[in-house]
Amino acid sequence: MAKIVVVTSGKGGVGKTTTSASFSTGLAMRGHKTVVIDFDVGLRNLDLIMGCERRVVFDFVNVINGEANLRQALIKDKTHDKLYILAASQTRDKDALTEEGVGRVLEELAKEFDYIVCDSPAGIERGAHLAMYYADEALVVTNPEVSSVRDSDRVLGLLSSKTQHVEKGEGRVKEHLVLTRYNPMRVEKGEMLSIDDVTEILAIPLLGVIPESPAVLSSSNAGAPVILNQETDAGRAYDDLVARFLGEERPHRFITAEKKGLFGRIFGG
Amino acid sequence: MTPNNALEFKGRMLSLTRARVVDADLAAITAQLRDFARQMPQAVIGMPIVLEADAPLPLDGVLAALREVGMQPLGVVDGPLADAARELGLAVLPPDTGATRSRPAPAAPAAAAPPPPPPPPVAAQRVPTRVVNDPVRSGQQIYAADGDLVVTSTVSPGAEVVADGCVHLYGTLRGRAIAGARGDTSARIFCRRFEAELVAVAGVYAVAEQMQGDLRGKPAQVVLVDGKLKIEPLDW
Repeated sequence: MAKIVVVTSGKGGVGKTTTSASFSTGLAMRGHKTVVIDFDVGLRNLDLIMGCERRVVFDFVNVINGEANLRQALIKDKTHDKLYILAASQTRDKDALTEEGVGRVLEELAKEFDYIVCDSPAGIERGAHLAMYYADEALVVTNPEVSSVRDSDRVLGLLSSKTQHVEKGEGRVKEHLVLTRYNPMRVEKGEMLSIDDVTEILAIPLLGVIPESPAVLSSSNAGAPVILNQETDAGRAYDDLVARFLGEERPHRFITAEKKGLFGRIFGG
Repeated sequence: MTPNNALEFKGRMLSLTRARVVDADLAAITAQLRDFARQMPQAVIGMPIVLEADAPLPLDGVLAALREVGMQPLGVVDGPLADAARELGLAVLPPDTGATRSRPAPAAPAAAAPPPPPPPPVAAQRVPTRVVNDPVRSGQQIYAADGDLVVTSTVSPGAEVVADGCVHLYGTLRGRAIAGARGDTSARIFCRRFEAELVAVAGVYAVAEQMQGDLRGKPAQVVLVDGKLKIEPLDW
């Protein structure tokens, strides 16, 4: 039986799609058959970041409406044969998603895949609700700033009340914190919330810290998830994140300011 | 007692309403009774009444006014009204409470009286305290009706915890806490780490900007003293 993982945040632009792309690629690289679904109907992005935008024929809404079957709509990743993408429709809106339809597609995917990664749209409305509704686990993507933390807190409240597991009394969604765009230098200067600040407010276990990195933007533009670029901090941090998700113990990296000035080195931090 | 007796005597508890005449003005009495009947039409129908007065007054007029709204005057308390009552065939009851049951009212009005409502249960039902163990997240609202609320975790910014009684928070209060939501001015808010956005007791509130900064992050309680909200340190 597949595990359904939602990547969500409430706030937009914090790195949900970047995380979905690297996380699902990382799972596939470790041999797990994975599908990543773009729930952001109308604002389709995941296919760009995964670099498969020129191969989209049918999408998630087509499958829900029965206009295409899954085999036709699933796009196989060009480098990883265990990774598939189900793109969002760009011409429709989120009302095209129905609870019953999403449930049916996920059920069918669950027969074939080990992991189903749901890339949630921003907000807390229909698209975001349906992305999290069937989830077993959740990656809550948060930036180290107050508005993102508050929105994540709101989403955590929804995860603990508005999901199938909770409504049916079958336990709860396992929550993981993913802190993205972390800049230790700015944290030291007091310009950014620290890991402790965020974990204290959200009170969920930290799965990974992704450092702020120009590689994220260039990878997105190149259509290759940043996890493939193991020369970069962000790529390695995502690799750690996937390993930790699968149960490996790995220390958090890139969370302290590395380059200290001469005085800093002499007098200590 | 043999089965041949014509009467069978049984003790019975009746709940009566005592009406004490404060102002002997008949027009004022009639007006007040009508007002009372309009507010509680169900209660006045058949309500058994015992009249009490410190000075003589035209008894038949008052009785007519009582009967007009549907009440049943059964008798009077011994005193200035006693003679007039005996003439009208009403019972005269001793002034102290409890005597009403040993001397039942005359048979005719008593027979017409409806069965009295069952006495209310003596011990009031205690409302169980609502206990929340999960963090209260932004956008969530938790309301403990009629009782206290206990949260063992934190209350996030944008979350709201409300109780008709006291609010006890064993984590950090970063959101809003409201005690005495239905006007209980003795309700309080207790919290282990005070960083509230807003606190209120019985409708009197304070927002973060109005709170003294020295209590931030410390254990505190919020109390209403003479209608003013006070935030005090909780030290031990």
